[in-house]
Formats: sequence, C-alpha cells, structure tokens
Amino acid sequence: MIAAAALCPGPPLLARELTGQAEILPDLRHACMVAVARLVAAAPDVIAVVGPADLTATWDPAGALDLTAYAPALGRPAAPGAARTTSDGERSALPLALGIGAALLDKAGWDGPRALWSVGGSAPQAECARIGGDLEAPAERIALLVMGDGSARRSVSAPGYLDERAEPFDAEVERAVRDGDLDALAALDPALAADLMVSGRPAWQVLAAALGGTGLRADVLYSDAPFGVGYLVAVFKMRDS
Amino acid sequence: MWQTSKADKLLIVDEDAVAGSDASAARTPGPLRLRGREFPPARALVMAIVNRTPDSFYQPGLTWDSDAAMDRVHAVVSDGADILDVGGVPAKPGPEVTVAEEIRRVVPFIERVRAAYPDLVISVDTWRHEPARAMCAAGADLINDTWAGWDGQLADVAAEFGAGIVCSHTGTLTPRTRPHRAAFDDVLADVLGRVLPLAERALKAGVEADRIVIDPAHDFGKNTWHSLEITRRLGELTATGWPVLVSASRKDFVGETLEAGVEDRLVGTLAVTAVGAWLGARVFRAHDVRETRQALDMVASIRGDRPPARALRALA
Repeated sequence: MIAAAALCPGPPLLARELTGQAEILPDLRHACMVAVARLVAAAPDVIAVVGPADLTATWDPAGALDLTAYAPALGRPAAPGAARTTSDGERSALPLALGIGAALLDKAGWDGPRALWSVGGSAPQAECARIGGDLEAPAERIALLVMGDGSARRSVSAPGYLDERAEPFDAEVERAVRDGDLDALAALDPALAADLMVSGRPAWQVLAAALGGTGLRADVLYSDAPFGVGYLVAVFKMRDS
Repeated sequence: MWQTSKADKLLIVDEDAVAGSDASAARTPGPLRLRGREFPPARALVMAIVNRTPDSFYQPGLTWDSDAAMDRVHAVVSDGADILDVGGVPAKPGPEVTVAEEIRRVVPFIERVRAAYPDLVISVDTWRHEPARAMCAAGADLINDTWAGWDGQLADVAAEFGAGIVCSHTGTLTPRTRPHRAAFDDVLADVLGRVLPLAERALKAGVEADRIVIDPAHDFGKNTWHSLEITRRLGELTATGWPVLVSASRKDFVGETLEAGVEDRLVGTLAVTAVGAWLGARVFRAHDVRETRQALDMVASIRGDRPPARALRALA
C-alpha cells in the first residue's frame, strides 16, 4: 500500500555542487526537503523514487547522479595527486531525475530501503498506469517520491522559449494535484506535454495509477517557474498519517 | 525532452567512421588561406562581430542601421580586425528571420563593405545554404556555420565559391534553441567526434583544406562548466592541426563565472582569449577588437612569435 507520496522537480540545479559558489533557489530546495521529510516521517518500509528518463527501467538503489556529466571539473583532482573531489565515485550513475531524487533521500538521512524506477519519457498513459499498479500491489508500506518538472517553455528566456500553452498546462497539473484529481493527471496529453517540454508527465501518470481512486488531496509547497521551467513540490495527505 | 548524453553517444559513432581519414589524423598546421591572403599558424586573427540584427545579446541594434554598421567596419579595421563576421540572425530564440529577410539584412551590406575594402576577409554567420550562396556571391570568403552542419549544403556552397567554412559543435541543438540540461560523458570527445567529421564532409564536398576552421562553440549546447572545460582543454583541439576558432566574447559562461552582466564581461573574455591563444587557437571572434588584438599580441610576444613593438628598457 502507498503510505505517503510527494512530488518534487529534478533540475540539475538542485544538486548543490553544480551551481558553483551560489546557492540557487534555496526556497525550492527547502520545499523539497520538507516534502521528503514527510515521506520519511511516515516510517515506510521502502521509499520508491519514480522519475522520467529515456527508458522504463529499475536502477541500482545505491546509485547516484553523475555530476561530472554536468560539471567535468568536479571529477578532477583538486590538486595534483589529490583524491577525486566527488565522494560518489563508486556509485553507479543514475538518470537525472532519479539522481536528484536519490540525493534528496541522502540529504534527508534516509538510510532505509529504496527502489528506483524510471519511466520512459514517451511512455503512453497505459504503460504508466501499469507501472503505478505494480507499485501499489505489494503489501509493504511504500512511500513514493515522484520526480518531474513542468513545462520548460514558460517564458521567452526559458530553455524552450515561450509557449502560451505552458502556463495553463502547469496550472492544471497543480490544480489536479492539489484537488487529488488523479483522473485529470491520468488524462494529460503526452503529445502536448512533449511539445511543452514537460518532463514530469509520465511520472505523474504513474502516481495517478498508484494512488488509485483514493481521492487524497495534496499540500502544494512550491509552484513557480523562476527560470522558465515549471517546478512543483507537493505532498499528499494520507488518511492514516 | 532533450537528453544529451544518450543522443551524443549515438552520434559519436561518427568518430569511428572517420578513423584513419584525413580529418581524424592530426594534421601539420599550415596557413589559413582566405581571399587570396595567407595567414600563418603563428599569427592569431581577430574576427570582428558586426550584427545586422535589431536583437543580438550585446548592444542590441548597435549596427542595425546600415550606416552605423559601416562606421563599425571602419572602426574595427582601424583597430586591427583581420576578418569581419557579419550575421543577420541572432543565435537566441526569437521572431523568425526568413531566408529572404536574412538576405535583405546581410547581402547589400556585404556588397557595400566589399566595395570599400576589396581585400578584407568577410565571414558570414549563417546556417542556411540559400543565404550563404547569396552572401558568397556578394563577396563573402568564409561561412561561419555556428549551428554545426544543420544544413548539409553549406559545405557545397563554400566549395562552389572557393570559400572557407567553420565546422562547429552544438551538441544536438536545433538552430536558435537553447541547451536544456546538457550532459556529456566527455564534452571534448563529443566536440572532436562532431567537428572532425564535419571537416571531413567539407573536404569531400570540395572545400580546400586550408580554408577549413573548427570551433568548439562555447555556450552552444553547453553549460558553463562545459565551456570552461573546452577552454581548459583547447589544446586537444589545436592538436588536431586544424585552425581553431574561439568564439567566447561576452558570452554567458563568462558572465556566470564572474557574476557579470554583458557590459562587464570584457576582462573575463580577454582571459579566455589569452588562454586560448596560449593553447594554440588561431581565430578569435570578438566584440572588442582593439582589446582582443592587444591581448593576442601580448600572448604572441610571450610565446616568442612576435618581437616587442619597441624594446628599450635597460637597453640604453
């Protein structure tokens, strides 16, 4: 059964090492930590991280984000003869969304069992629903950390430039999450989401299936697009917690 | 959603395809030949930016007016520019600039510059073959293909007119789009895996080898860390023997590194210029021509390629 569920975005900038000397968006980082802390507080048997990637797959629970793919210098010795600056050199590389999710669990101090699932960025809703059903089935108490971003076309300076449909799309996702309107999440159009560079769509549809018709509502802790990409942080209020 | 690493891994197979070919084997650096002029490897060149656009990122609209653009040409030539780089379309996303509009912005201006400066090397910053053909017909000598061979016919146009071509790296970007979460196993390997096959393609199309330049394209398809990495490892590009173009002037990676707005990025740009020159890059695309020329002359003298202009200290 699902004991708790939270949504977080997975931009590289959430990895503190990647933003250089400056901490970017401390409010967003804080909201994510609050969300993950609530998952931990539900005392689940396992925390499952679900996030978009190129392919649907399960990943090494001990894996981590490969920071050097984004910042080659972080893999260089700090001084001649020094050890690598990253402490994660032995951990296998995860796709971005799962890597950020794993880092959030690390930071929250979660050392219990974890499971990492990626869902293909172009996976149709039916495939997402099947994965969600698989997650829901076990008798264990599972906490879900669902990673994914809204549109990357929220402004003219956004990575994908401005698309007028982006803001209404993200607003509808936020409303559906807030109201627990899982049918609305399940009905999101994959083609439109892809047009709008919305990475979260498949993971949200996994969530919709996993939570079934529970009618649970969510607290929205953060919803904004400060750099033209929609970031949504939310925690579902479970009846037994 | 654009996932760089996977796409890059697929495309980098090109590297094997050209193994052992003229393009992938290290070449002996030779002169760059443009407009009948010969530029030896030891002489770094300044390529002055002249934008025929209303909306480029630095000093937007400065040379949108044709007379203002001509004044800029006089100024940069006087400041020591070796090459002009004329562009009619900004790199950033924005309102569409049609082929006809790009030609309207650039071609009459090239004709005007050519009439005033018969020997000046003119580069055109374009990624489409139709404008490129009109520009070469009007007297352009080098096609600066910033969008990495998006239009395969550009090299044919260069060959047709005996012009040169710049082979650049943009990851997997479509022209006029921004990088989103760019990631590479090894950004330098990716650059080499793309620009060397492009150089090979240009050779096969009939572009002469001494008119081909390669450009890692700072900021294009890259985050700041990646642009710093290609700067630090520029020697791996110059080691191929192809002349290397550095286009870093006032770009975002300089701004992010120094937390400086576009107006305050000259010093950072000159630092990139000095490092690039030291590592053997040969062409520097610049907004600030006099300062860039001075930095390059200083590095050339440090390298021993250029005697001091006037050495008298302690010599009397």
